[in-house]
Amino acid sequence: MFVLAQKGMQFVEKFIPMRHTDIRELFKFEKTPLNILVAFTTFVFLILFVIGATNYFIHGHHAYGVTREHPWGLMIAMYIFFVVSSTGLCIMSAIGHVFEVKVLEPFAKRAIHGALVTLLSGFVVIFLEIGHPFRMMIYNTISPGLTSAIWGMGVLYSLYLIFIVIEFFFLLRHDHKWAKRFGIFGLVVGVAAHSNLGAVFGFLVARPVANGIYYPLYFILSAMVTGCYLIFLMYGFKYKLNFPPEMQKTLVATAKILGLLLAILLFFEIWRMLTAIYGGMYDRSTTALHILKSAPFLVGEILLGILIPFFVILFSNGKAIKTLVFTSFTGMIGIFFMRYDLVHDTQLFPMQMLKTREYQLPPSFIEYTPSMNEIFIALGAIGIAITLYYIGDKILYLETDPD
Amino acid sequence: MANYGMALDYKNCINCKACEVACKEENGVQLGADKHRIWVGVKDIEGLWPNLSISSSTFEPSQCQQCENAPCQEVCPTQATHYTKDGVVMVDADKCILCSYCMEACPYDARYVKEDTMTIDKCTFCSDTRLLRGETTTACQATCPTKVRTFGDLDDPNSEISILLAHREYKTLKAHLGTKPKLFYLI
Repeated sequence: MFVLAQKGMQFVEKFIPMRHTDIRELFKFEKTPLNILVAFTTFVFLILFVIGATNYFIHGHHAYGVTREHPWGLMIAMYIFFVVSSTGLCIMSAIGHVFEVKVLEPFAKRAIHGALVTLLSGFVVIFLEIGHPFRMMIYNTISPGLTSAIWGMGVLYSLYLIFIVIEFFFLLRHDHKWAKRFGIFGLVVGVAAHSNLGAVFGFLVARPVANGIYYPLYFILSAMVTGCYLIFLMYGFKYKLNFPPEMQKTLVATAKILGLLLAILLFFEIWRMLTAIYGGMYDRSTTALHILKSAPFLVGEILLGILIPFFVILFSNGKAIKTLVFTSFTGMIGIFFMRYDLVHDTQLFPMQMLKTREYQLPPSFIEYTPSMNEIFIALGAIGIAITLYYIGDKILYLETDPD
Repeated sequence: MANYGMALDYKNCINCKACEVACKEENGVQLGADKHRIWVGVKDIEGLWPNLSISSSTFEPSQCQQCENAPCQEVCPTQATHYTKDGVVMVDADKCILCSYCMEACPYDARYVKEDTMTIDKCTFCSDTRLLRGETTTACQATCPTKVRTFGDLDDPNSEISILLAHREYKTLKAHLGTKPKLFYLI
């Protein structure tokens, strides 16, 4: 297998320039404390993934904490977390190399690489959530449910994967003409796929707190925020906070865009809550009030996800790019809570309001706790994303050419 | 071709749960509190002891509402959930991918995961059991001691259900969602 991988890399090198084709190079890295910590954590995450996935293959959905009343759990949240990151990175990349905003061009290749890595990690998670993934591929094709947002999302994300692979291929070959063309396709299909994912929730007439136009729009906006956070994290790690002057300009520009996006996101959140509570439509308003008083929303989504990075940008005029690397890390934790909350909050209000068996309390807000297996797979998927990113970073030229 | 529906004289329900047992027996529904195609909802008695309002406690037998405009059918990515020619919402287990989107979309919590096939299951009006054998009643209807349920063809003006609906007032559950349920609760 080792030899096969080696041969594969040598074959790929005929088409795209590579930094290393010797697979042993992958295991060599600078032994700084941070690098060792990341490598160790990733290794642990990968082991956890194997444990979680094995339990899932043995026990099926019993390995998860999902129930009849709460059929979607952490797996769906993680899938959204990854594909949101992918779309965000694709959009941020496109601003530079498709729309030719010169100051944002330096991260075009690395962002597309990140988009590819996060998309694949998302697919791994959803593979372990869908009960019959192979049946899905067959019947999505021969018996398509055209009115289903999941069907639309599946098709569009598949196309998106194809387009960004081709875009990345041409970017690595320095063929900017074709990279731009496929970048446009990737962007359009990616935005369509991602808003479709928002519509998976937006189409739920049974769930007033999710139903409507909000999620398809919010998904695109929060994807861009996620893309900015990941760019800060990728370059903060790459340069160990000692950014060269060119990169400083790029990151300050990215910070300013991020500041604007966060302000809009805050504006979205405020009006989402006000419209949900105003008028007192029972199921919608009680659910919104419940969300409003919850720690994951206030601390996770609002404080970590929006306010802290926003105020760092506001008070530093976008110039505190080193601090922003750290707030991007906490920002990503906030983004995780955004994904987790949107899945959980959608299912908060019970569909069945009467008791259906003896000794049962009258139904109230549905509770859900992820099982250890779900947590293992979720962390494992982060490990997979870091591993794939590291491999790409190690063997490919991810910096944009000086021309 | 028929257009099957069910009328429920729900105020006659005594919460004996014979319907739940008959449904499980007839349709091979697994044991377990979460595994049920039909159920009886119980509204608690209101008030504080000793001033309890006995009449405030009601029973509401329920199941899949067999919506004419079923959200579960709209959201199914593989058309596993479909309408039969008799207007019954059914799940084709061979096509179901267990994405659980229909469970999310159903406003009545009428769907659950069937463990032996690992697919979604729900009330079928006994289409694949009793009706297939030529019988004209569902298991829950046949077993009910107080004749809560009346099952039949809504398109046949002479059917028992059509006559009942023509002469009695009725309501449907969560009618504001536009799902057009075909379970009618007689008032």
